[in-house]
Amino acid sequence: MNYLKCRKPGEEFLLMGNDAIARGALEAGVSVAAGYPGTPSSEIVENLAKIAGDMEMYVEWSVNEKVAMEVAAAASFAGLRSLCTMKQNGVNVASDFLLHLGISGVRGGMVVIPCDDPGALSSINEGESRHFARLLELPLIEPGDFQEALEMTRWAFDLSEELRSVVMLRSVTRLSHASGNVRIGPLPDLKRRARFVYDGSLIDPLTGPVITMPVAIRHKGQQEKIKRAEAIFENSPFNTYEGPEQPELLIITSSACTLYSREAVHELGLRDRVGILKLGTTWPLPKRLLKKHLSTTGRILFVEEVLPFLEENIKAAAADMMGEIGLREFHGKVDGTLPGSGELNPDLVIEAIAKLTGTVYHAVPEEYARKGQILSFTTAPGRDLTFCPGCPHRASFWDIHNVLELDGRQGFVCGDIGCYTMAILPCGFSTLKTSHSMGSGSGLASGFGQLGRFGMDQPVLSVSGDSTFFHAVIPAMVNAAHHKSDIILVLLDNAGTAMTGFQSHPGLAVNAQGDPVPAVDIEAICRALGAHVETSDPFDVEGTEKKFLELIEGGGGARVMILRQTCALSPERKGKKRYEVRVDEEKCLGDSCGCDRICTRIFRCPALVWDKEKRKARIDEVLCAGCGVCASVCRNNAIVKEEVAR
Amino acid sequence: MKNYGSVQLKEDVLDRGLCIGCGACISLCPYLRTHRGRTAMLFPCTQESGRCYAFCPKAGVDLDAVSGFIHGRPYGESGVGPHLSVHASRAGDRAPGSVFQSGGTVSALVAFMLERGIIDAAILTGRTGLLPEPRIVTDPGEVASCATSKYAAAPTLSALQEARDAGFRKIGLVGTPCQILASAQIRMHAESEGLPDPIAMTIGLFCTWALDFRKLESILKERTDIAAIDKIDIPPPPAEVMEIYGKGGTLTVPLGEIRTAIPAACAYCTDMTAEFADVSVGMLEGTPGMNTLIVRTSRGDALVRDAAAGGFLKTEPCPAGAIQELEGAAEQKRKRATAKASEDGLMNPAGGERRPHIRLAAETQARILS
Ligand SMILES: Cc1cc2nc3c(=O)[nH]c(=O)nc-3n(C[C@H](O)[C@H](O)[C@H](O)COP(=O)(O)OP(=O)(O)OC[C@H]3O[C@@H](n4cnc5c(N)ncnc54)[C@H](O)[C@@H]3O)c2cc1C
Ligand code: SF4
Ligand code: SF4
Repeated sequence: MNYLKCRKPGEEFLLMGNDAIARGALEAGVSVAAGYPGTPSSEIVENLAKIAGDMEMYVEWSVNEKVAMEVAAAASFAGLRSLCTMKQNGVNVASDFLLHLGISGVRGGMVVIPCDDPGALSSINEGESRHFARLLELPLIEPGDFQEALEMTRWAFDLSEELRSVVMLRSVTRLSHASGNVRIGPLPDLKRRARFVYDGSLIDPLTGPVITMPVAIRHKGQQEKIKRAEAIFENSPFNTYEGPEQPELLIITSSACTLYSREAVHELGLRDRVGILKLGTTWPLPKRLLKKHLSTTGRILFVEEVLPFLEENIKAAAADMMGEIGLREFHGKVDGTLPGSGELNPDLVIEAIAKLTGTVYHAVPEEYARKGQILSFTTAPGRDLTFCPGCPHRASFWDIHNVLELDGRQGFVCGDIGCYTMAILPCGFSTLKTSHSMGSGSGLASGFGQLGRFGMDQPVLSVSGDSTFFHAVIPAMVNAAHHKSDIILVLLDNAGTAMTGFQSHPGLAVNAQGDPVPAVDIEAICRALGAHVETSDPFDVEGTEKKFLELIEGGGGARVMILRQTCALSPERKGKKRYEVRVDEEKCLGDSCGCDRICTRIFRCPALVWDKEKRKARIDEVLCAGCGVCASVCRNNAIVKEEVAR
Repeated sequence: MKNYGSVQLKEDVLDRGLCIGCGACISLCPYLRTHRGRTAMLFPCTQESGRCYAFCPKAGVDLDAVSGFIHGRPYGESGVGPHLSVHASRAGDRAPGSVFQSGGTVSALVAFMLERGIIDAAILTGRTGLLPEPRIVTDPGEVASCATSKYAAAPTLSALQEARDAGFRKIGLVGTPCQILASAQIRMHAESEGLPDPIAMTIGLFCTWALDFRKLESILKERTDIAAIDKIDIPPPPAEVMEIYGKGGTLTVPLGEIRTAIPAACAYCTDMTAEFADVSVGMLEGTPGMNTLIVRTSRGDALVRDAAAGGFLKTEPCPAGAIQELEGAAEQKRKRATAKASEDGLMNPAGGERRPHIRLAAETQARILS
């Protein structure tokens, strides 16, 4: 039985944190879910989308996080329960609306779920969403394990309705993507009716218009909600303590760090000396509860990711309590007991506790660790980050790189986040020279494109994925077109939000729930901006190069090159070869050719390998995706492609 | 003599701004390519020694060695270089007619060689708009389509390699002195590898300087329709202008402005009359429609005689005054370039840190500068 549809309370499932969150939301009777894909958050909306039909829900991948939050808020204003998900930096995108939503308040329970990525395992930043809760004065809760992921999500909707405030539930990679046993609760039987009531008094948050004015009154009201939240949090069952009554060392932790802390204390055998206060409600802080625990010990260690959020806020609270509890010694990220950036793990926590308690501990015998290190350096083959075999991006950046070199004016490419970010590396021929937030490559390009007046004659390109185009590139391109910025936007259209797992986006004719929807025409949008638009298949190396050179030399404001080719991993392309590709051993002169192995030294598709014995190139048939691009890389025509009959 | 690879070619020539874009290094490998008059290296190649460096007329050229190879004579003995005779010439009545740069001597000789099978392909330089383009021509009737001078430096020699790859073995080349120098090094390389000489005849053009295509284009594109240019000429002094003939009339641009587009490489070029060619052709100052024709080698001599006998070429004795003037101008160019290369540390640099741009024996240098 699918865990999402299961109506047997008490049943146990092995669930990922994100699955548990989705189930919790269903148990709370969520009606609308929206989000923008981003690791590690994507599975929540994906799961809900799958059963949206059965559950009478509406689920969408919105164009970006801000719009996702607005879509979810609309449902709440109409009295429904709603949620909205995103990765850490998505909160930055949505934060403008969230600031105002905090003041206006909500009606139906609304939960915002940012999933942070400590260690930037799938990100290009280590953003901390928790600070937004404090900054924007919103209640914040953090599940500490998989069961709590379900239960706290379910509760978050009640809390939101009790406070009439949006609630932030924060997860992290190791919670969202790790799995544990979870016992499910009942699914409600709902009659979902939406109606937006607005004819009450201007200042009535439940029946009047949903606005932030008068700000003075509403803001005060928001702060009162935070006070009420604090009172509720004092007695929350999600704040737990385990350990002796008077611990030698008190660990204060939250989220996945709870698991690390428990494991560390267990490993060190210090359960009777070290206590763990695990906070499930992390803003506002339950100060009475904290006072009680801070009174039991002289030394406190904060274990949290990424920034010292609890550490700084609890220290500030402790300063207010100093008269009653006395001086305390605090350790954590601020004094360097734990690293200030990156992901934590049980070993790091063990090290910190061992140091503070004077315990000797070796995770592995020293000799073993040394040998392991040597072996891993000497025997494991070096593996670069690279694009998949047959990836359109390799071909696109090959085209872009060569065109910029031929042009010879030191042109460059501004990028952002997507698989194509890897073009900063040799796999993308080191073509990408800036990489920041979604769409920022095009915004930067728009700026660079104005610097011709200061003597900058370098061609300026930006790259964007198709999903990113809708997310944040459109305003940048409008800016560039309107101000006649001399740039070329290269749209790497691989027909899906490939990096995060082929979620739908507005350019596709199907939505998150799998229903047909009108596709928004990227090309038409660009033409409507007045931009000169060219479209090419990046696998057609020669044709693309020609069009590119003309576009670069043509000059004249914002131009667009759409490089259209489906992602090699997409369901449509996977396992289907366009060409059967092989190396003609007669023609490949190998080492004795003057080519210096351009195929396997520079182009480096993982399926194109150097046969050390024959000293010639070879195609790995299993890896080869049949794109045929390498055939145009060998000047000797030693790489032969034959169209596969269909 | 030590040869180097493309990494050094990039350092010594491309990065120093000394590339003339002749195309000698193009079509040899996947890394070096030419685009709109510029030579680009797409990726670094790790070969320590390559044909690119060996062929390049701007990388470590040993002029004494080249002169020895082509003429069996030391370098820099006379202003116009080793020669057997000098003539005034123009295309003969049997040569295909066309608009030529001056007398049409070059086109006539090329057409004659193709007709008689002296060469199996000619490497010429045509154009699209203002952009010079290398052409492999095998039909004598097509020679005229490449007539007239394109003053932008051209990657003509890229077609030489393509012609070799295509199997042509008796190739005729028309080129500027730097291109003829590169072709001499290509022939030296073939000999050192034990390969047959691919080149059956070289016709050199006189040259004081060429122009950077991209700069020339940006000077002209605002003033005229580049696509409609018929011919470009630089009338003799004291005019000091470039004349651009097009569908819409004649545009005159002061040479001062045009000279801003001269590539740095030309300032170090010692050769005005294509000394390493079989025959060299330029204008005959003071006589529009006539060429100065210098015959340097015995096969060049045979060509000129046969072409004249066959009605393809008309020759007359060259006025002594014109030869003298040419000698003086060529000597001046060689002297200026030699002095500049020494001053800028590009001639036989001491200490071995910098690879030379030009190599010349000390006594040759002294002879030139005296
Ligand atoms: C860049 C340049 C500078 C020159 N400078 C001088 C000078 O200072 N003094 C002087 O007397 N003569 C100079 N010439 C030579 C002159 O312009 C004529 O080319 C020469 O007189 C031959 O005339 P023709 O009528 O026989 O040529 P045509 O019969 O018209 O044939 C011209 C030939 O030149 C070749 N050609 C054209 N452009 C180029 C190019 N860019 N690179 C290589 N080959 C080319 C073509 O293949 C064609 O075969 C120069 C030529 C060039 C290309
Ligand atoms: S001068 Fe000629 S051979 Fe030398 S680098 Fe330039 S194009 Fe290549
Ligand atoms: S001056 Fe010398 S280097 Fe310049 S184009 Fe003429 S022959 Fe070549």
